[in-house]
Amino acid sequence: MIPRFLSDVTIKFNPFSRKAKTARIFLSILPPNARQLMKISVTQLPSSSTEKPILDLKFKDGKDMKIDPETMKIKEVVEEVDRHSRMLARAEDLSSG
Amino acid sequence: MPPHVRLRPQQLCIRQKPQVQQCRYASLATATTPAPAIDLSIQISTPIQRFPPTQPPSYRQPQFRKSQLHRQYASLLRSTPLILIFQHNNLKSIEWMAIRRELAEALKKVDAAEGTEYADFIKMNIIQTGIFAAALKVVEFFQTARNPKKEAKPHPGDAAAVANTDPNASDYSHGLSKAAYDAANANKRLKHGLESLMAGPLMLLTMPAMSPAHLKAVLTILSPSKAFPAPKRRTNPTFHEPAVQNGLQKLLLLGARAEGRIFDLEGAQWIGGLEGGITGLRQQLVAILEGFGVNLTDTLEAASKSLYFAVEIRRSVLEEEEKPKDDKADESSSS
Repeated sequence: MIPRFLSDVTIKFNPFSRKAKTARIFLSILPPNARQLMKISVTQLPSSSTEKPILDLKFKDGKDMKIDPETMKIKEVVEEVDRHSRMLARAEDLSSG
Repeated sequence: MPPHVRLRPQQLCIRQKPQVQQCRYASLATATTPAPAIDLSIQISTPIQRFPPTQPPSYRQPQFRKSQLHRQYASLLRSTPLILIFQHNNLKSIEWMAIRRELAEALKKVDAAEGTEYADFIKMNIIQTGIFAAALKVVEFFQTARNPKKEAKPHPGDAAAVANTDPNASDYSHGLSKAAYDAANANKRLKHGLESLMAGPLMLLTMPAMSPAHLKAVLTILSPSKAFPAPKRRTNPTFHEPAVQNGLQKLLLLGARAEGRIFDLEGAQWIGGLEGGITGLRQQLVAILEGFGVNLTDTLEAASKSLYFAVEIRRSVLEEEEKPKDDKADESSSS
């Protein structure tokens, strides 16, 4: 995954629900220094709550990406994020070169 | 002319070669015993042991690291009353080191205050999630007591004794046996409550005893919250080093398993918040029971006491009523 263009990650999940897996694994594929590069806020719900898990991303160009971790697998999420990140990377390359 | 053979007197005497060869290497030693003579074997009641009793044959191949990890996790789960489950998100080794150091220091302080020696045995283990999930299933759904070893003692020549050599035989009851594997995978609907946690990178914090005081120290260090505030910079400056703080941001307490029961984050904090631990709870219980006893004796006494008082009052009333009569009678007789 290309985490370079992420500026804001908001995650909310109940670890005891099966649907939280994508959100949790997304958290684990962020690089070790992710906290210095972007704003990450994690909220854990109690095991009895039936609230939907949330995975909201914000990119540096201001794009807001709301991902539904219930239906999407982690591979699909990574694909989705990378698609936009590659576009931003190309724009950066063109402007700098 | 016959061939000339030199006769050696040494060759004439029959020398007995030693029958038993000493095996120098433990790894080459076989556990098979030589088959006893037929007349002996009829008297022997136990079958021939093809495996040492401490090394029963394994269904999962024992030479693999994952089998040994499975065994290790199963024994950890059976022997540990309190396990905290954390998710670790790409911590660096420096951060792990710093967190371990802070935790050890905090636990030593608790040990000194409580008079226990748990600090060296409270450990952080990074686990292989898939293998741990399998081991957890075996621990939860396979009880060795339910599958006792067969007590029948067949004749050593019987088919049963031969079957003893089969590692897939169902009469083995250890965690890596076929019986354990079958029991763990028999019913997909059986739930132990931690299935949803068994994904992603996990870390276990294991405690050798149920000690809320130690748990409180662990929670203040590893997952500071309102109920368990982190130590102040003045009292514990090393806790506020960047290595520790960056590491703690990436540690996420997911749940706990205490004496076979599953707790979420709030449940874990509740256990940590128990004042005085087990002894404190016992004292509270004793106080409640004592209070109850006193109440009970009071209630039981109350009826008899009130009866006693009623009778006493009545008696005094009667006595008072009789006295004036007696006085009057005396007066009338004297006059």
